Amino acid sequence: MKPVIALTKGRLEKQFLSYFSSLQYDTEPLIKKGRKLRIETDQFAFIFAKGPDVTTYVQYGIADLGVVGGDILAEFEPDVYDLFPLPFGKCRMAVATEQGKIWPKHKKTIASKYTSITKDFFKNKGESVEIIKLEGSVELAPILGLADGIVDIVETGTTLKENGLVVSEEFLKFSARLIANRSALKIKRNELAAVIKRLQEGQI
Amino acid sequence: MNRLFLPAGSQDQVGDRLNNKAKLNETFRRVVRGRDFQAIETPVVEYAQTFTNPHVGMNLSKLLKWFDRDGEIEVLRSDWTTAIARALMNQNAAQLKWFYQGSVFRNDTSGIESRQAGIEIIRTDPLLGEMESLLTAVAYLKEIDVRNYIIELGHTGLFDYLIKSLELNQETEEQLRLALYDKKQDAIYQIINKREHNEIAQDLVELTKAFGGKEVLVRYGLRWQDRPELVAILNQLQQLVAVLEQIGVPEVIVDLGRVKELPYYSGTMFRGYLKPSGKTCFSGGRYDKLYAQFNEDITAIGLAFDIDVLTEVLKPEPVKPRICLVACPQTHLKAELMRKDFPNGQVDIRYQIPATGLYDQVIQIADEVKE
Repeated sequence: MKPVIALTKGRLEKQFLSYFSSLQYDTEPLIKKGRKLRIETDQFAFIFAKGPDVTTYVQYGIADLGVVGGDILAEFEPDVYDLFPLPFGKCRMAVATEQGKIWPKHKKTIASKYTSITKDFFKNKGESVEIIKLEGSVELAPILGLADGIVDIVETGTTLKENGLVVSEEFLKFSARLIANRSALKIKRNELAAVIKRLQEGQI
Repeated sequence: MNRLFLPAGSQDQVGDRLNNKAKLNETFRRVVRGRDFQAIETPVVEYAQTFTNPHVGMNLSKLLKWFDRDGEIEVLRSDWTTAIARALMNQNAAQLKWFYQGSVFRNDTSGIESRQAGIEIIRTDPLLGEMESLLTAVAYLKEIDVRNYIIELGHTGLFDYLIKSLELNQETEEQLRLALYDKKQDAIYQIINKREHNEIAQDLVELTKAFGGKEVLVRYGLRWQDRPELVAILNQLQQLVAVLEQIGVPEVIVDLGRVKELPYYSGTMFRGYLKPSGKTCFSGGRYDKLYAQFNEDITAIGLAFDIDVLTEVLKPEPVKPRICLVACPQTHLKAELMRKDFPNGQVDIRYQIPATGLYDQVIQIADEVKE
């Protein structure tokens, strides 16, 4: 059986493919995949999914390995082996708010896609906040008055800037990571060892 | 709410699946009683502290709980081993081997209820207990005709030994344990100060990769040859591997980087994986420390089978012919007596001729009587 690798669709996917091809793996069928969600190469079977779903497919053993952002792992804490960082997909988690915003004296409202990370962050600080879950375009929330601030990932900071927001505090750093199913890593160790090694050593 | 809808994970069980479960439990009882284990069952409802006290360390948030009239927290049984340790304090100390069958309840597992069958061995020579646990597992798997599986061995002592000189506080040790649990190599370097303890950090990172066949034991035997405490553990695992191979276990692996998942584990840990699914069909290990809460300094070891996982892979019983005897109130007794003529069939009695295809054979008795 070919190793099954789950990839996060979108930005991480492109960065992974260029990294993977730099390791001399054939990425041609992956680049030309069109809208297909499953692609087989000579060596691997790939599936494409959203980040949280990548962790689910790996946890349930549908995929042996997965490439997913560290932010997703921190938020959802899936029961998988979280092997090592990959040299792309770098981002920071930050609290941001409108330029010149004065925080209210009462309990703040924070909007985020990452409700669990947000809760842990403020819990550790000992500060009570109300958290509103959003699915995307979180930058809108402070501008439209839904929340006092947001917790979100920041890569270059351009989106924040263009929407008139500034970072008030950065607290976690992430990159893409390689994860593995807990039993597949051992049971299919002979099939997986080579690609794991190359993914790790490629960055040294 | 629609009255037919069940909570997530809950399900009715019917037919083959239920027959499989009964067969698994019957076979388990037969195998372990044949090895002189004695049955024990603890109640489904206990005080939370049985499971949450510091010696056991289960997380209260994962237990199914409520307050009793006196304001004490009661829970559904969340772990057999812990409950049995408590129960055995009031049992005859001369009985060393016990077995149990039944459900545990936790809200972090899919479906809340999971069905287990397991064994506990206390107050024996350590090696004897380990051999007997593993050989009982092998005997049971053979008896239920599960042939494609892997047994994995690990030991809590390797991690404990390697971190000893770091003199970590409880919180940092827990972070490090979790890093090993997730085989998260970079986290190890973040926790351990690289400049001061580079060698230990490297040892631990190596440990995350130290799984595989018995050749791993040889490799680490060489690596650790000047550390007799570690070599002693490797030799002990080697001894178990050899016995398991001799008795015909299809594949034995070791994971030297495996760390305990509950604080009371202390020593050898084992786990059975089914192939090809990779599901865990049994797990267990040594937990002498569990009895320290009762001021008992004894050995204790055991393992539990996951009956739900095994149910999925057990081959269904061969199909028996279904026979219908069509009778009437006057001939019902005659039909009842005819059952003995079909010792290998499933015999039903009806008063009306059934629709075709429901039974393999339909015999009408009513007609014979009229004549």
